[in-house]
Amino acid sequence: MNLRFASAASLLAAFLWLAGVASAESILHGVGGDFKGFDPVDSGDVESADQISRVYEGLVEYHYLDRPYHVIPRLAAALPEIAPDGLTYTFRIRRGVRFPDDPCFPGGKGRELTAQDFVDSFQRVLDPRLQSQGDWIFVNHVRGAKAWVEHLNQNPSATTNAPVFDGFIATDRYTLEIRLAQPYPQLLWVLTMPYAFVVPREAVEYYGKDFRNHPVGTGPYRLVKWRRNYRIEFERNPFFSGQTYPTSGEAGDREAGLLADAGRPLPLLDRIIEYDIREFYTTWQMFLGGQLFSSGVNKDYFEKVITPELGLTPALTARGIQLIKAPSLSTYYIGFNMLDPVVGQSTDPAVNDRHRKLRQAFAAAIDVKKYCEVLTNNRNTPANSLLPPGVAGYTDAPYPYAFNRERAKQLLAEAGYPAGKDAKGNPLRLTMIMPGAGSTDARQAADFYVEQLRAIGVELEVQQLTFAEYLRRQHEGETQTFFAGWVIDYPDAQNFLQLFYGPNKCPGVNSSNYQNPEFDRLYEKIVSMNDSPERTAIYEQMVQLVIADTPWALMTYPLGYGLFQPWFKNYKHHAFPYANWKYYNVSPH
Amino acid sequence: MSAYIIRRLLSVIPITIGVLLITFFLFRVIGGNPAYRIAGKNATPERIAQISKERGYDKPYFLNLQNFPREVFDAQFPRLLSSLVRFDFGISASTKQPVSRMLREGFLPSLCLTVPLFVIDLVLAVALALLAAYYRDTWIDRCLVVLSVLGMSISSLVYIMVAQYWLASEWRLFPVWGFEGPQYLVLPVLIGVVAGVGGSVRFYRTIMLDEMYQEYVRTARAKGLGGRTILFRHVLRNALIPIMTNVIVAIPFLYTGSLLLENFFGIPGLGRMTVIAVFNGDEEVLFATTFIGAILFVLANLATDIAYTWADPRIRLR
Repeated sequence: MNLRFASAASLLAAFLWLAGVASAESILHGVGGDFKGFDPVDSGDVESADQISRVYEGLVEYHYLDRPYHVIPRLAAALPEIAPDGLTYTFRIRRGVRFPDDPCFPGGKGRELTAQDFVDSFQRVLDPRLQSQGDWIFVNHVRGAKAWVEHLNQNPSATTNAPVFDGFIATDRYTLEIRLAQPYPQLLWVLTMPYAFVVPREAVEYYGKDFRNHPVGTGPYRLVKWRRNYRIEFERNPFFSGQTYPTSGEAGDREAGLLADAGRPLPLLDRIIEYDIREFYTTWQMFLGGQLFSSGVNKDYFEKVITPELGLTPALTARGIQLIKAPSLSTYYIGFNMLDPVVGQSTDPAVNDRHRKLRQAFAAAIDVKKYCEVLTNNRNTPANSLLPPGVAGYTDAPYPYAFNRERAKQLLAEAGYPAGKDAKGNPLRLTMIMPGAGSTDARQAADFYVEQLRAIGVELEVQQLTFAEYLRRQHEGETQTFFAGWVIDYPDAQNFLQLFYGPNKCPGVNSSNYQNPEFDRLYEKIVSMNDSPERTAIYEQMVQLVIADTPWALMTYPLGYGLFQPWFKNYKHHAFPYANWKYYNVSPH
Repeated sequence: MSAYIIRRLLSVIPITIGVLLITFFLFRVIGGNPAYRIAGKNATPERIAQISKERGYDKPYFLNLQNFPREVFDAQFPRLLSSLVRFDFGISASTKQPVSRMLREGFLPSLCLTVPLFVIDLVLAVALALLAAYYRDTWIDRCLVVLSVLGMSISSLVYIMVAQYWLASEWRLFPVWGFEGPQYLVLPVLIGVVAGVGGSVRFYRTIMLDEMYQEYVRTARAKGLGGRTILFRHVLRNALIPIMTNVIVAIPFLYTGSLLLENFFGIPGLGRMTVIAVFNGDEEVLFATTFIGAILFVLANLATDIAYTWADPRIRLR
């Protein structure tokens, strides 16, 4: 599943998520939220992914310190051997990795991890009866997966492990082959996601529907106690082994103290105790009291915590609190439905040109800088590209339709709506949908957009919807314009660019229903290309094509603000924080 | 009386259906098909159709007129009613846990907070009301009235924030947050009592004063009974009916917990669960708590009526 709009907010919240330390140096307290239990097939939300990755792990994972992001082997003994045609990935599984003792195993004794465990686990992600939001990581890419899913759809009583397809094969006890339908350079990225974590078949069968409450993983921690809506406790998994803290990172990591634990066996903390605190006021009191290791910066508290120069206030600085500002790899935007007769694309070139100018006028009418200042305390910055900074294909070229009210009016006139009126003198009325019904933040944002459009003569009606209804309208293409965000799933621009690929139109991920044969041609070329300067150049070209056609009016890049106690060690912002708890540490305090 | 009780018990049906209808309308009809939220943004139409079919979201909302008359009730709301009546509350879409398990887990923590809060509030409020009535029109009475009005005029949120900041965070007299033992309940109970006792004192004082001007009090005085005897033996007994009404009607809310206190102090009760469910649009939890709340409320009202006959032999239920 892609962490998109719904998850965009919660991903930010994840960065702002909180934790704390009790008296013993290795006991950590934290704060979570609702999550769906410990079943990797249900790890689509940030909170579930975070909890699951304490207990389970996968073949590969991101290097914690190095940038740009790259993967390293985890349960694989090494990175895979890739066939010359790019269609077969062969993984050697690390020997001696054990599932912990659990009643699900014969005699209660855990057993060694094998390649077959990955076959079973990957098939669970695809199994339509489990309704995983993560089936997209395999279904269109692994050979025979689609047919196998279809088979299960038509034969729901078939056993999960029926040998219907050979996309995942354990060729021997320690060798796993993944066979692809077409080259899939993103495979290693998606294998870092919790969807691809390995679970023992015995636990799935033994616990049945309650499996999600009984994690049995090879990961750094094991669940000790869980009281929903209140508290969850993990302790070091005695069977976890074979991993030490990284001995190298990017420039500046050593000076920042991030290599002080280099070479030490992981995990560094013995115990994690996490509390589910939902009120920021309570969180803030506990953080100030030293009970939590970290806090976000709530909008309402921003001015008490952050100076006008966007630094930490002297009072907090004097306490040794560390402020870490980090962008999330995401972009917020207002999308246009390109099938809409007013703002969309047209087969008539003259009409198409006018509609494009209308979309460009819309984009240029919104003072995004003011939005960031007034509504977000500058916790967002104006976006200048579809891609966020840090993703290959991003350039710092200025956004050609950045706020310019006079230009917006001119474009509007060229679109056939001088001063916002059509040829008959009727005012131009547009409709925008956004999620967050009842939310103050959403209402303030809606009021802001209405005012900005009114300034060029356009009447904008904003409908704030429940998330379910918002998704339905997008899915069914019942939109004219819509506010949305996209959080990247892996550090490859392809993940963003798929949102503009013609065949992905509604109900697919191309919610704008954007169609451009040239773009589609380039997309079909890059999906099977490995990282290279040539591919990056094509990404840049594709971004420019989209910006010129303006199916999105670019809004913001969110910037996370996190506060950390002076005794909390080894925190480094990571855009894909699936397996980071094992690196965290605390100093005596 | 049996006929009355049966009639009142039967009234549970339309009241519960009415309350559920409103909840259903707000969350399902206006809120949209939950299958889209459950399936997530990347979902295929087939996945949405699968979830809709499994959970019955593909049925008409109220009546299935397409299959009239055989399957006329094969619609979303009748199916919901049918499940709830069988106490089949389903699986929460947010936590993927059985709602019945969530209710079981939240029930006791809520009572741990609300029962002491309720008892202390009741005893204190009745005692202060008696005191105010006994010393009516003196400085004691006036002080109590002013303090009560002041207490009830301040929002509970203010009490929570001030107490959490000063008493817990700064002076460290209480834990800021948590549910690890009785000491974690002291501050939320204290806040609950302070926030609620003012209104109760005023209510009970009015009742006491009303009773004190009755003829039987004059008669008792004429017979030479002392003020205290009149107050405790006669006035309090006769004031029992409105007190009882207030008390019994509040009992269902002990079960549903305190939304604010549970949320701010991390008590994993049903109030906190309900708040979270509202934010998450977790329909299954909301339908279950609404259903149970409605039934308990009607039953508490019935219990009040029955208690009247015990407190006042003149009352007959027909």
